[in-house]
Amino acid sequence: MSRSSGLMPAESASGATLHTIVAVMSFLACLALGFVLTLGRLASEWTEGLSGSVTVQLLPSAQISADDQVKEALRLVKNWPGVFSARALSRADAEKMLEPWLGQGNVLQDLPVPQLIEVTLQPGPVELEGLGRALSDGVPGAHLDDHQRWNAELAAFATSSEAVGWSVLLLITAATLAIVIFATQAGLQAHREIVEVVHMIGARDVFIANEFQRHFLWLGVRGGIIGLVLAAVTLVGSSFLMDSREAPVGAQYLPQFVSSPLHYTWLLLVPVMMGLIAMWTARFTVLRVLGRMP
Amino acid sequence: MVRFENVGMRYGLGPEILRDISFTLDAGSFHLLTGPSGAGKTSLLKLIYLAERPCRGAISMFGRDIATTPRDELPALRRRIGVVFQEFRLLDHLTVFDNVSLPRRVMGESEGHYRAEVEELLSWVGLGNRLNAKPATLSGGEKQRVAIARAVVAKPELLLADEPTGNVDPEIGGRIMRLFIELNKLGTCVMIATHDTRIMERVPASRIYRLAEGKLTVAKAHEFMAEAKRA
Ligand SMILES: Nc1ncnc2c1ncn2[C@@H]1O[C@H](COP(=O)(O)OP(=O)(O)O)[C@@H](O)[C@H]1O
Ligand SMILES: [Mg+2]
Repeated sequence: MSRSSGLMPAESASGATLHTIVAVMSFLACLALGFVLTLGRLASEWTEGLSGSVTVQLLPSAQISADDQVKEALRLVKNWPGVFSARALSRADAEKMLEPWLGQGNVLQDLPVPQLIEVTLQPGPVELEGLGRALSDGVPGAHLDDHQRWNAELAAFATSSEAVGWSVLLLITAATLAIVIFATQAGLQAHREIVEVVHMIGARDVFIANEFQRHFLWLGVRGGIIGLVLAAVTLVGSSFLMDSREAPVGAQYLPQFVSSPLHYTWLLLVPVMMGLIAMWTARFTVLRVLGRMP
Repeated sequence: MVRFENVGMRYGLGPEILRDISFTLDAGSFHLLTGPSGAGKTSLLKLIYLAERPCRGAISMFGRDIATTPRDELPALRRRIGVVFQEFRLLDHLTVFDNVSLPRRVMGESEGHYRAEVEELLSWVGLGNRLNAKPATLSGGEKQRVAIARAVVAKPELLLADEPTGNVDPEIGGRIMRLFIELNKLGTCVMIATHDTRIMERVPASRIYRLAEGKLTVAKAHEFMAEAKRA
């Protein structure tokens, strides 16, 4: 051994079990945390109405020709402060969007489908109410849909999901605590002989506790990192799937999990927490076992 | 250095297995503790090496009353005692060298400080070429010698050995006893628990204690011999 390798066996059956348990719990905790952080971000974005895009609907009007209506509306929208771009959707675009509901065919040719203009906003506040009024006043048949109602509902949904997410996270944390404590104690039981022999040889309690807590700290951190890596692969993988072409219709509008570096920092805390839980449990348990010895 | 006065001991709520035990061990003396299996020899040694507490009576170790010694001062007392456990109690995941160095490590010494000494001790007990072996690969006699080396590596003032010849053939048993006698000559107080009668003839025991039915008596024949020698 050499001093650095410590008193504890490098690998043992109980160590492998503890690794697995910590890895699984940290995987679940990372997923729950990723979920909660994403929902939290969405809720605040939706609440602030920063969804990034609005739509202008142009209903056929007797007062203006369809082409002029589009031209007028585009001109008005494009000059509005805070608008990044605006694009009239072609008939083909509209057919493609409605296809899931109406099926393929020539249905649309015979229907008065409203012409749509997709407006992309720059980040930051935009005077949407004024734009809406300007459109209805300036272009007959134009109507701005700022998704306000839709946003409000989404925000409410996200906020309540976030609350559910926090409860799940809380439950997982409690379960993790209980399971990691239990597994650490089971691991210690396997090392009881070491505790007793070293105690009788004249080791002080803190010496023994330090050896054990160092061992279990790294055990917890290693298990936690395995779980974190698995969770990161899952989260990134799911975002990737959603971006890919095989994703279901509309999936690209779903939020990406874990987007900011800050989120990754939070996730990094999970293995650290695992290590600390295992370490403190080991220390507490060893000191309690030793306390019962004369 | 060890003094027992009317000591009684029981495990949990069980019967008293040791009753009214009184004796003293002086520095540099040599003792045998005999008695049939189950008489309580191991239990008495546990009291001496502070692994169990008496239910009554007074124990004093190295001049300290154990009952009034704070718990955090007991490790310092334990370090003055070397123990050869009945079942060796070697740590299976550590090498022979690491097992033997353990008491020195526990005292906070660095490996550079004790390495040469431990190697010398191990070659003295005939294990100079097994430094990196794990206990599982050793024979009973080799384990026994590792356990003895661990017990003496920190130069204890008191050496306790529990049935040290129980698992080895007479040839090795004789060598082990010579080792203890040698250590005793260097000043270590030795107490050996055994029910091996052959040992008794070989050793210069200052006293032979006999445990039976929970009581400790000084074996009469040997006291006679000792008195005859003194006269
Ligand atoms: N840890 C223990 N718990 C309860 N009873 C024990 C324990 N160790 C020993 N005993 C009992 O105490 C008695 C003395 O045992 P022991 O000291 O091992 O005797 P010896 O070493 O002379 O064979 C026996 O009856 C044994 O069953
Ligand atoms: Mg015994």
